[in-house]
Amino acid sequence: MTANAIRTAPRRSPRKSARPVWDEEPSFAGKAVKALFLICYAGAILVPLWAIVATSFASEDALSRAGGNLLLIPTDLSIAAYREIFSGGALTDSLLLTVILTAGGTAFSMVLTVCGAYALARPGSVLHRPILMLVLFTFLFGPGMYPSFLVVQKLGLFNDYLSLILPVALSAFNLIVLRSFFMNTIPGELLDAARIDGAGEFRILLTIVLPMSKAILAVVALFYAVGYWNIYFSAVLYTPGLEVQPIQVVLQRMLMSTQGLPEGAAATAQYQAQGEAAPTAALKMAVVVCTVLPIVIMYPFIQKHFTKAVITGAIKG
Amino acid sequence: MATMQSEAPPLTARNPDARTVKRKRSFAQRLRFDWPLLVLALPVVAQLAVFFYWPSAWNVIAFMDYSPHRPFWDNPIVGFAWFERLFADPYFVPALLNTLKFAAAHLLFLFPLSVALALVMHSVVSTKVRSTFQSIVYLPYFFSWVLVVTVFVQVLGADGLVSNWIMGLGGDRLSFTSNPDTFLLLAWMQWAWKDAGWGMIIFLAALASINPSLYEAAAVDGANRWRRMWHVTLPGIRPVIILLLILQIGGILSVGFEQYQLQRNAIGYQATEVLDTYVYYRSVIGTEGASFGTAAGLFKGAIGLILILAANKVAHRLGEQGIYQKS
Repeated sequence: MTANAIRTAPRRSPRKSARPVWDEEPSFAGKAVKALFLICYAGAILVPLWAIVATSFASEDALSRAGGNLLLIPTDLSIAAYREIFSGGALTDSLLLTVILTAGGTAFSMVLTVCGAYALARPGSVLHRPILMLVLFTFLFGPGMYPSFLVVQKLGLFNDYLSLILPVALSAFNLIVLRSFFMNTIPGELLDAARIDGAGEFRILLTIVLPMSKAILAVVALFYAVGYWNIYFSAVLYTPGLEVQPIQVVLQRMLMSTQGLPEGAAATAQYQAQGEAAPTAALKMAVVVCTVLPIVIMYPFIQKHFTKAVITGAIKG
Repeated sequence: MATMQSEAPPLTARNPDARTVKRKRSFAQRLRFDWPLLVLALPVVAQLAVFFYWPSAWNVIAFMDYSPHRPFWDNPIVGFAWFERLFADPYFVPALLNTLKFAAAHLLFLFPLSVALALVMHSVVSTKVRSTFQSIVYLPYFFSWVLVVTVFVQVLGADGLVSNWIMGLGGDRLSFTSNPDTFLLLAWMQWAWKDAGWGMIIFLAALASINPSLYEAAAVDGANRWRRMWHVTLPGIRPVIILLLILQIGGILSVGFEQYQLQRNAIGYQATEVLDTYVYYRSVIGTEGASFGTAAGLFKGAIGLILILAANKVAHRLGEQGIYQKS
């Protein structure tokens, strides 16, 4: 114990310091460098997000005066962009589709994953090992883009919204995360007691296991929901011909129309042909805000459970 | 301990000590207890069968001259002809080299960044600062690539925020988001923005599991901050680093699709073509047929499988745990 720690201990006692006594206090320069690094890193993430929100509320005048496509300080606020998004046009349809896709897909994925994880949570049961191997092999190999595309075509799901859900409905990683939780965290005695009392597996799953796993279920559901919300590649590959596209595809088209590229000019022409104005910077940023907002709203509730989920998945899986 | 360990035999109501009884139970007897589990597993098996194993089996058309217009068994078997054609294709080798370049850059420059971030984070004593910072840096992981590319274009693009500041100061317009020469740097910045924070989560957990008395003992023996890091911290997280390295090496040809496809028009295909975009543009929507695209994908899948098994073996040789269950 250093003299320094003894001297400062009584005075600091109300503000409990987590630094152990054997750890020397870092130098001022060291602390400053570290603080600067953390602030810059967090700033690099937060400042662009703030600028996007600020721009989405800016009026056209304010934007053209600023001469750019992003503002840090919004003047004369306007919600015209949001009004346009929710006015019932193509953007409303796209957002609605994405919400339905996310809700339906997440529900389907959760049923699949919970059933599979519970079924694989009792080593030694009939066919346990072969089924587990079927799941784990998906970590080692990918069937490839073209064969997956062919199968979707053969099933008649090409240009069908189901092709955005079914092929990606199961994440082996999420299944293993849940399985590890069921195996390691839920006491086996409890399940045995329930079995002795005559409860069947379905009832045990519904009345004992699921209520005890709410936190981890929330994290897994978030992983799935984010996956469906962010769907882009599947839509490009499996549903290029549909009129109403997921929001990420729409956002990508809007972005293209202002990049000053041949494709951008074509996209702008397409907007004009449809009798619509090319999207303004404020509108684009408002769409960005709409795609981020659900994630940002859900995130704080679930964030504190992340570490547990990732660790059970990565170490045990 | 009666809790279910991963290797413990099943404990069922009628067999409280399954260890001794297990061998005597026939398959039919076990089936009588376990059929509900099989029912629960059925949807997963069906999903994997239809959307993983069935397409995996379709990879055989890489060895055939496949045409969708004739019965499957009438397609002639051509051996490795499509793979020869693949390597003769002037666009394939550059795409392969690009893929390796991005994977190597990810491994060399992003992986250590995550470790470094975790070390800095771990050294911060205040839990308030830690949880705030973690909340911020995990967030972009959940953003789509469309969003990340949009943010980068808006901030660093030719009409972007930074470009406007520079022009305001009398400088030139930035061409960073459309310059093929600096695309690797741009890609790296995007990874750092989106994934580096999330990447540290697993290292942080590993760091938290190091026994603090090791640090105390080292400190008492006179090891300073840096020596403690070298002799206690880094050995403590070595198994996790090795595990993640194996996974990264296994995925070395799977650098993703969206990040490259989204910036293909702005940057040009030469700098952004990777194996996945190659298959898509050349075969799925391009002029090459199904067999060609499948051959390119199978090449990627097979190399990935070999690499991950090899890396796991090497890790075992070095006395590391590796990916435990699959070895």
